[in-house]
Amino acid sequence: MSTLVGKNIVKRYGKDTVLKNVDINIETGKIYGLIGRNGAGKTTLLSILTAQNPASEGTVTLDGEPVWENEKSLSRICYSREISPVTMFGPNTYRVKDYLSTAKAFYVNWDEEYAKELIKLFNINIKKKINRLSKGMLSAVTIIIALASKAEITILDEPVAGLDVVAREQFYKLVIEEYAATGRTFIISTHIIEEAASLFEEVIMIDDGQIVVKENTEGLLARAYRISGEETLVDAAVKDLKVYHPESIGRNKVVTVLADEPIDSFSEDVMVEPVSLQNLFYAMSVDERKEA
Amino acid sequence: MLSNLGEDKSIYLQISEMIEDEILRDIIKEEEQVPSTTELSKFYKINPATAGKGINLLVDKGIIYKKRGIGMFVQAGAKEQIMEARKTSFKETYLKKIISEAKLIGITKEDLKKLIDETSEV
Repeated sequence: MSTLVGKNIVKRYGKDTVLKNVDINIETGKIYGLIGRNGAGKTTLLSILTAQNPASEGTVTLDGEPVWENEKSLSRICYSREISPVTMFGPNTYRVKDYLSTAKAFYVNWDEEYAKELIKLFNINIKKKINRLSKGMLSAVTIIIALASKAEITILDEPVAGLDVVAREQFYKLVIEEYAATGRTFIISTHIIEEAASLFEEVIMIDDGQIVVKENTEGLLARAYRISGEETLVDAAVKDLKVYHPESIGRNKVVTVLADEPIDSFSEDVMVEPVSLQNLFYAMSVDERKEA
Repeated sequence: MLSNLGEDKSIYLQISEMIEDEILRDIIKEEEQVPSTTELSKFYKINPATAGKGINLLVDKGIIYKKRGIGMFVQAGAKEQIMEARKTSFKETYLKKIISEAKLIGITKEDLKKLIDETSEV
């Protein structure tokens, strides 16, 4: 089994520190979900892990070898970034097929047949210029490149952002099919957590430049609860637990808790419900002070 | 097969319960093949490891068994076994809920028994 390891990664842009001593181990053979609020550092982390962006401090290694300017390591990793319809020199007038042939030249395991299948599935006209593509089509092109790269570690940054519901479902199915058939590693960042949560064997939650959670998704949710009921009873039931996002309505209180271990039984005076990944993420991320 | 999974319990538990339900309803009969981990994960868009965990739970319970190189099959006597197990949990999962709701709205024990008789006659 291979491992992609980031150690003590710090990234500064001027005075801003966007990644603060991040340690991360990506073991191959899993589908990872990367979630975090806008500006939390997701894209910066992914671009550093794939050597598209230098870290201010720290190292990234694949099987012990640094990935920076290491062609051998990098050809095993695909980071399919969102393609921009504009470039520094004006509209992006390259055609889809130009992007595909660049990818074909770069990724040693590129699967041309698979690429053709995907182009058909997503109904992409490869002769079209990038700046003439809709947002959904741009997303589809990045997905096609990521999947057809057949790279051992494939990273998709916000792949479903521009896609309609049919294409999103197609994407989730494609990832599962491909993962089931090959065991390739996928790291997928997304804001549409609800839809993708069950795809992720492990979830990585990043907040303010730090990794706050990296855990098996089922295991994480097994120790998360939403507790509600009369205020004093809820307070009593959760007094030794880490509480997130308390909300009150009348004499009622609702809190989200993340216990160290799954809890067999709570007091019968309160209502206990499971928490979805999206709601847990929300509860952990929402900043009370900013709430009106 | 359920068209969607809920959020009220772990996905792997929902997978194993769903297969149990299908066995109870004779949708999958004894000695018949159950959907594979890959089929389940594609259908529900869940991680194959999660689907596998649900399947393994049934293997551990002796409800399904593996035929090498072919797939998973329902064990003879599985339906009976599931029925027995569900009878044991019936009190916890269903009766307690009914009784606590009845208490809350002031239905007495006698009223409840009468209600059950009336309802099951329909």
